[in-house]
Amino acid sequence: MSASWMQLFFQIFLLLVSCRHINTKTPGPTPTPLAPVSPLTTEVRSAVFKGESQTEKIELTNPVSLTLECTWAGNLNKPPNITGYWNKDGDEIENSHVTVQVENGQYNLKREFRIVNKENLGNYSCMFGNEAQIDFILTAPQIGEVRDKPVVSYTGDFTVILCKMEETKPKPLNWNWYRGNNTEKISINAQPERYEIKNEGWTTKLKIYNLSDADSGLYYCEAAYAISTTMSPVKLKVITFWEPLKPFIAILIEVIVLVAAILLYERSQSKKNSVAETGTNADHTNTLTQGENSGSEGSSSMRQRKV
Amino acid sequence: MPPAAATNLGYTPPDGGWGWAVVFGAFISIGFSYAFPKSLTIYFKEIQEYFSVSYSEIAWVSSVMLASMYAGGPVSSILVNRYGSRPVVMIGGLMVSAGMVLASFGTTIVHLYLCVGVIGGFGLAFNLQPSLTIIGTYFQVKRPLANGLAMTGSPVVLSTLAPLNQFLFDSFGWRGSFLVLGSIVLHCCIAGALMRPVNKSVQPKPMTEPPQCNGAAAEEDAATDTSAPSANQSEMRSQGCMHKFIDFSLFRHRGFLIYLAGNVVMFFGFFAPVVFLAPYAKHQGIDEYSAALLLSIFALVDMFIRPATGLIGNTKWIRPRIQYFFSFAVSYNGVCHLLCPLASGYVGLVIYAVFFGLAFGMVSALLFEVLMDLVGAHRFSSAVGLVTIIECGPVLLGPPISGALVDIFGDYKYMYYACGVFMLVPGIFFFIMHYYNYKKLDEERRQSVAVEMRISEEAVELKMSQDYKTAHETDG
Repeated sequence: MSASWMQLFFQIFLLLVSCRHINTKTPGPTPTPLAPVSPLTTEVRSAVFKGESQTEKIELTNPVSLTLECTWAGNLNKPPNITGYWNKDGDEIENSHVTVQVENGQYNLKREFRIVNKENLGNYSCMFGNEAQIDFILTAPQIGEVRDKPVVSYTGDFTVILCKMEETKPKPLNWNWYRGNNTEKISINAQPERYEIKNEGWTTKLKIYNLSDADSGLYYCEAAYAISTTMSPVKLKVITFWEPLKPFIAILIEVIVLVAAILLYERSQSKKNSVAETGTNADHTNTLTQGENSGSEGSSSMRQRKV
Repeated sequence: MPPAAATNLGYTPPDGGWGWAVVFGAFISIGFSYAFPKSLTIYFKEIQEYFSVSYSEIAWVSSVMLASMYAGGPVSSILVNRYGSRPVVMIGGLMVSAGMVLASFGTTIVHLYLCVGVIGGFGLAFNLQPSLTIIGTYFQVKRPLANGLAMTGSPVVLSTLAPLNQFLFDSFGWRGSFLVLGSIVLHCCIAGALMRPVNKSVQPKPMTEPPQCNGAAAEEDAATDTSAPSANQSEMRSQGCMHKFIDFSLFRHRGFLIYLAGNVVMFFGFFAPVVFLAPYAKHQGIDEYSAALLLSIFALVDMFIRPATGLIGNTKWIRPRIQYFFSFAVSYNGVCHLLCPLASGYVGLVIYAVFFGLAFGMVSALLFEVLMDLVGAHRFSSAVGLVTIIECGPVLLGPPISGALVDIFGDYKYMYYACGVFMLVPGIFFFIMHYYNYKKLDEERRQSVAVEMRISEEAVELKMSQDYKTAHETDG
């Protein structure tokens, strides 16, 4: 009896040890903590293929678990099965081939994607064989109002460059400024008496003091979100005061010339008129005196007649 | 040609010749006066960023400019009465130019208020009044047409300045643009150079002297000229030296008071619909470019209807009763606004823009013509000065009140109803009061003709008795 108890006890003991062994095994060295799966919000976006190449723009701010769904009504001949797969940025996603069956006269293709960082954004396409394709372009919120004309300012003066995100879109976490061209961008930090950056929610202002010709060029404002960033270019042009002074002087000269011409023309006209007038005035006074004489003669004759 | 309200100027206006050059000068001057403040709004966004101020603070620049332009009216009238139109317009042009050039170097927003607002506004006032006055001296018979043509300057210059300002802004930023605008506005000096004082020695009557400010000379002239209506005789005598400053006796003038009362109410609702046309369109869901197109349609219709109204006002049926034509134009404006909320969709708004353009153009073309018709060319300069400073209030308060109406009710239709009422009531007021005024004027004319006939009969009798006496003496 005690031997069987001992055996049982021993088996239980072994079981417990092995369990504990298993327990100690599983929490092995995990270098990166798993991104929280449950706090990830889920979103679903769906699109229906309408016959032509189609693009859906999706703007994301935070990491999400995004389900993309494509629906296609099919061709004239509807095979019962068709292969659907997904592309990312033109390359096929591995293991994404699925056989799609007709449901209610439509083909449905659905896949869940975890979008957590910049690399996950891009152009996702769902393909139905080679016949139908819908593109989903995933980006961070884009800055809508892009100023295509350069900001013009003057040497020695300061200028304020503004970048604004539409208030209907989510507020950026932070703003950054860069200057340079397409290949390299140099970050701008606030330096006293040179650069001043003011971030106010949806807008950001870069104030540059004491401008010189070297400050001309492209500036980039960058809106930072949890998932990624967006950039928008603004061009700055620095000119001297001589530039607007040229048309100013040209128009000034034109005005002076025209005014002088009009006044001189008038003077010459009035000289001609005054010469003519003295002639006509003399005639006028002559006729008047004649008229008066005849008038007085008339009245005297009347007097005589009355008498 | 159709007779106008009887006013004896003491000379015959040329009604043509150099007068058309003067109309062109007035076209430019009036155009800059009305269009320049409106066209500056293009720069406000960038200036707002530069000086880090709120939108209302930058909008004050426009308001100060408009207020100075209206407040400068009486000053302008005094100067025109004393020195004539030409020097005042040229000085006005120089003032606006100086204001803009100074503003281009501005360092604070107050700098802009003073340079663009006060100096610029006064300069524009010195452009507006003299231009209107000089038309009255050059034209009598064709005056409505001349006025209509001159007032067309406003939409034409605005259509030219708007794209020009955009181009300047893209090339030079706001500072450089202000500098170049300072030179562009000097074209008002060219307009001033064209405003040659009218030749008052050309006339058929033996009275070679124009009515002088000297009281004695005026009496002499009045006594020798017995053919003039007696009403104007007493006017000339009482004017005397008042001509040098402002003629306050206008406040006893019946026609002037009618005009003033109606206009003060009318201006509350006159400009607001123009300001809110584009925002209303956007509120209805129309995109920005189509909304801007509405304003262009409005401006185009306005541009063509002004000379047309001048022509119509000149016809022999309308000219004697031109006040009724003006009353009709004002009432038509009111009806247009009252019906606006019924306009649905983009097509409805286009139709509204066309009719509104017609209405606005008609009232604008006749606005100063009817004042000239009521008070006569002599007192017009003082009249327009007094009218503009009193109208200053409604013009400045109108758009903000309308804006407040829109904000309170959240709907534009109440604002349109209010504007419609503000225009329809003065329109009906004008109809009634001018009917009464015309009756009174006709009565006075009949009386004065009767009085003259008696005076001339008595004079002839007196002369005959005198001749009889002298004949007796010579004989006896």
